[in-house]
Amino acid sequence: MLSIKNLHANIEGKEILKGINLEVNAGEVHAIMGPNGSGKSSLASVLAGRENYEVTEGEVWLDDKNLLDMKPEERAREGVFLAFQYPVEIPGVSNINFLRTALSEIRTHRNLPALSAKEFLKLTKEKQQLVEFEAKLANRSLNQGFSGGEKKRNEVFQLAMLEPKLSILDETDSGLDIDALRIVSNGINKLRSADNAFVLITHYQRLLEYIVPDFVHVLYNGQIVRSGTKELALELEEKGYDWLKELQGSESINK
Amino acid sequence: MGMLNQFTTPLYKKLIAEFENSGEDTIGSLSVIRKDAFEHFRAKGFPTTKDEDWKFTNLTPFLADDFSLHPADPKEEDVRILVNNALIPDLDAYCLIILNGKLQLGLSVLPDSHEMTVHSLKDISEQPVFSQYVNLNAENKQSMVALNTALFEDGYYLQVHKGITLDKPVQVIHIYTALENVLFQPRNLVIVEPDAKAELIETMVVQKHTGLLFVNSVSHAVVRENAQLVQYKIQDNDSDERILQYHHVTQERSSRYDNFTFCLPGADLIRNNLDVVLDGTSTETHLLGLYLVGEHQLTDNHTAIHHKYPHCESNEIYKGVLLDNGKAVFNGKVFVEREAQKTNAFQQNNNLLLSGKAQVFAKPQLEIFADDVKCSHGCTVGQFDPESLFYLRSRGISEDSSRKLLIEAFMFDVTQKIENGPLKAYVQALIYGKMENSFSSIA
Repeated sequence: MLSIKNLHANIEGKEILKGINLEVNAGEVHAIMGPNGSGKSSLASVLAGRENYEVTEGEVWLDDKNLLDMKPEERAREGVFLAFQYPVEIPGVSNINFLRTALSEIRTHRNLPALSAKEFLKLTKEKQQLVEFEAKLANRSLNQGFSGGEKKRNEVFQLAMLEPKLSILDETDSGLDIDALRIVSNGINKLRSADNAFVLITHYQRLLEYIVPDFVHVLYNGQIVRSGTKELALELEEKGYDWLKELQGSESINK
Repeated sequence: MGMLNQFTTPLYKKLIAEFENSGEDTIGSLSVIRKDAFEHFRAKGFPTTKDEDWKFTNLTPFLADDFSLHPADPKEEDVRILVNNALIPDLDAYCLIILNGKLQLGLSVLPDSHEMTVHSLKDISEQPVFSQYVNLNAENKQSMVALNTALFEDGYYLQVHKGITLDKPVQVIHIYTALENVLFQPRNLVIVEPDAKAELIETMVVQKHTGLLFVNSVSHAVVRENAQLVQYKIQDNDSDERILQYHHVTQERSSRYDNFTFCLPGADLIRNNLDVVLDGTSTETHLLGLYLVGEHQLTDNHTAIHHKYPHCESNEIYKGVLLDNGKAVFNGKVFVEREAQKTNAFQQNNNLLLSGKAQVFAKPQLEIFADDVKCSHGCTVGQFDPESLFYLRSRGISEDSSRKLLIEAFMFDVTQKIENGPLKAYVQALIYGKMENSFSSIA
């Protein structure tokens, strides 16, 4: 589904991603771990199309479509979803109006019929229940007045509403207490299917106790230096990230 | 060739001749005021950028044309069509029709006369309120006000009677016809008597024209003790229209006054002066403004709030969206006199610049002489927050729609305060309709 080949990217002239290779198939969950500054969030940003990044080399394919040629909104309509590490508060844009606009543009792109107001509200209710997101959305501005945890849960709720192919969760676990983490993870597990895929970007192994990944990759200094199965996450938890320094410069080890 | 200045324009000469030929047939008690005002205008001429209050708004090019002072009124059937087009859809309201500055009672639909009365301003020229409020006082000795005072033909006088709460708003529809270049100088007076409540919505409609329209309007609203007045001004004009409005408000003890000013893109020039004098204790004032300026338009809002007594509260939010080569001026004066202790005065002005060629000149101006007050002001000029824009786009919303949502959000502080549903919908539709037309030009 997602194919990243030798991806290099700069921000403000500084190279952040230095040749990433990654294959993600439908039905899979991949975790990307690594220390601060290794390029995890940059990878998420480049995939979603954040404009201050410049791709200098490499390719990214979503099935048969060249992702790098698309605007952020086109990527979203093709089925890429980024759950933000820091979801934005936008006073004056209502949660409901925002969701309705997003869903309608995505459905139009996918040749699906428009939802009536009633169907939309029904869907909203269902998905809120599915991801256990009780916050009142009507008559409230986007993310305004939400706690950090509620904002993260709103991201997962939006994911449930928009039904992407590929979801990239950028440190969705950060700032969540253990109960919220369980709820968020339950939601994501319910959304997993044979047709979609997840890339979980995380600093800690904790999230992976709840969402069990098929593959774990270690990102260090802009490259994937090691890939493995879920046991790799446990190894990282035990050994920390210091040993990665020894791997720098050597061939990255693929699965 | 000599420089064209404000004393040599055809219009200046015409106005001087107009007054000198008007003889003694003007309204009796007014003739002294008129003479005084006329001398003031003759000496000062039109404002120039050397006047502090006109520093960024150069009126001279807008006055260089020749204007007729006595255009013919349109046919009645045309007026009826204009009125129908001007009515706000679904709004349950009375309507007051003003044609070329003159009251049209026959076309108006008004509340019962024991609740509210409307007269032509000339008809009340012998009443004390006339000499009290229709004058050139110390606070408004501006030359355009002087010019209006010297030469206004007529206007309306609207009085909401003591203790009456109007069951519906009154839409005041100003109709102008400009088949040739015309200058109108209407003069209006609104009095809301003690304990009364009223809501006025002022709109303007211009008959399709080949000429330029210049309106130099002066109005005064008096909100008596414990009364409430909400005034909406919707300025939805077209090019070749130049609008000057001087609006003076006097608030007496425990009164509340709300003003909403919406300047939509279109007119060549809009200059609003809104002066609120708090002439008693425990008043409440809300001034809310939105200005959208595009193409080569100039929109200038000057507001002033005069706190003279203790325990008064004023709250002002003006927001501007600038497109193309649009230019906006905002000047917000707040005066707190020594006696005005326990004043709460809040002012906010935010500007969204959506074009590299647009300009905004913003000047908050607080002058505080009392020591036990809470006053604050904030002024910003900025662009879209790129992170918000990216967030919306990352959910599949197009760049255009995302910008629209963010503009809507920017204006939300003001639009959300319109309590009347159909009016809110009307204003929002006007804003988005106008923005839609301008979107192709957003960089």
